[in-house]
Amino acid sequence: MSLLNVEHLTKSFTGKTVVDDVSFTIEPYSATALIGPNGAGKTTTMSMITGLLKQTSGTVKLTGERDIRASIGFLPQYPQFFPWLTALEYVEMAAKLSGVTTKNVRERSIKTLEYVGLGNALHKKTSTFSGGMKQRLGIAQAIVHEPKLLLLDEPVSALDPIGRLEVMNLLKELQQQTTILYSTHILHDAEKMTDQVLFLKEGQLVEQGSLTAIQQKYADPKYCVQFASEQAAMVFASKMKVQRDGLAVYLPVDRSMQEILQLLAQEQAEIIKVERITASLDEIFMKVAGKLDTI
Amino acid sequence: MTQFNVLLIKEFLECWRSFKLLWIPLVFVFLGVSDPLLNYYLEDILAAVGNMPEGFQMMFPELKPADLLLASTGQFQLIGLIVLVSAFIGSISRERANGTATLMYVRPVSATAMFMSKWIMASVVGIVSATLGYAGSMYYTSILYGSVAVSDFLAMLCTYFVWIIFVMAITVSMSAAFHTGVAAAIAIIILPIGLLIDQVIGSFWAWTPWKLANYGVEFVAGTVDTGDYRATLIITLVLIVMFMLFGIWSTKRNWQLTKV
Repeated sequence: MSLLNVEHLTKSFTGKTVVDDVSFTIEPYSATALIGPNGAGKTTTMSMITGLLKQTSGTVKLTGERDIRASIGFLPQYPQFFPWLTALEYVEMAAKLSGVTTKNVRERSIKTLEYVGLGNALHKKTSTFSGGMKQRLGIAQAIVHEPKLLLLDEPVSALDPIGRLEVMNLLKELQQQTTILYSTHILHDAEKMTDQVLFLKEGQLVEQGSLTAIQQKYADPKYCVQFASEQAAMVFASKMKVQRDGLAVYLPVDRSMQEILQLLAQEQAEIIKVERITASLDEIFMKVAGKLDTI
Repeated sequence: MTQFNVLLIKEFLECWRSFKLLWIPLVFVFLGVSDPLLNYYLEDILAAVGNMPEGFQMMFPELKPADLLLASTGQFQLIGLIVLVSAFIGSISRERANGTATLMYVRPVSATAMFMSKWIMASVVGIVSATLGYAGSMYYTSILYGSVAVSDFLAMLCTYFVWIIFVMAITVSMSAAFHTGVAAAIAIIILPIGLLIDQVIGSFWAWTPWKLANYGVEFVAGTVDTGDYRATLIITLVLIVMFMLFGIWSTKRNWQLTKV
């Protein structure tokens, strides 16, 4: 049974539809990546799931919960904290507001902060925190009440490569205990942790499924033969009746690599390399986002 | 109830750590002690500064303790009020605008708890400030001009508390209903400018919240008209409840204005 059911979710602001009839489900203990270019409606979709923003139409249902807010943790893209509270005070307050009983709330808050790597900053004011520390604190406040569903809006986009790796590893660990829905515009991050990918484009869900399935669908495999001279490339391309791009000649994959090599062995021209290529994640992203028609 | 307590503690910590609980009372103490001291020593100050023409005679009116409390009230109502309004006018709207409210609003928190915690803490700061301000004024008045009955003083103080609670109900509910700038404009028009208008043309009516503070001082002077006082008090209390309900409703209505 799925954990989250989103049906026909739509949001319009004075005539402009930002999220348009989006439906999907999320299975328990899975990781779902919401992918799309800037302005595709990722944040708006998340805001509606959290209940911060009221949808124009459609429904969001979390299995077994009436008030969705009690069972979710949310990390906005730019989390803002009260500068006059310490990290521990903040997380403790967050836990209490989410209904953690007061008995073990301090202990649990300390554990959570240690878990995200802020064990040595428990009593520091949040105003002194760096971007990476704020992101960790943001994760801490989102998980301290052990929510069923964790919603993260661009959890790593603002971080440097090291911070990105650390936070992604943290999220991967968290996925053992909870269900995660996160948005990103960086496919390489999604590759590290995802069971399901949702592609948003101009508010519409244009593609969904496992990343492997999407990769296969858009892989567009072909052979690329690179010649040393344009002359040779031109001759070979016209002989094979295929397209050519500078020194490179692209061949469809209806032949085996052996056949290609045999064909090339008959050529006099100097060959630099022969390879079988598939579309990169970035190319797939562009293709799904509709920026490139052919690759 | 737990959530209300948590939020109230959060508001208290904010007022404490941002020094609002220190500097606002200090302003009121300064305003409170300035009138009795200045009036009493005015003659000496003028003499010491000199430059008075030969044979110049100044007539100083004989001041009663109630006159000085009235003067202090005037200070609180003008400068003190602006300080209180500007300190709390952003309490809800600013949190929405800078995004700190977002992480509160995604939790199962009620608009009532959110509004009440802010209103109560703002009122506490106002009440502490007014108490200290009047205490300072009373202290020097009693030393320099003579004392008043404790019960009258307490009646005056409690009347002023009702006024402060009214002021904060308007301030915080405007902050819940509008952006900080608009809220500030409305609160300034209703409160300090309203007071001015009431002073200029207020002799045509007897029952408005703006007159409440002066009725309080009239307890001390012994000139209060209990009927007018009671009616004003009831009107003010009704308005407090109305602004409170409006504030809670606005907090709920503007829930999604918070920056994500």
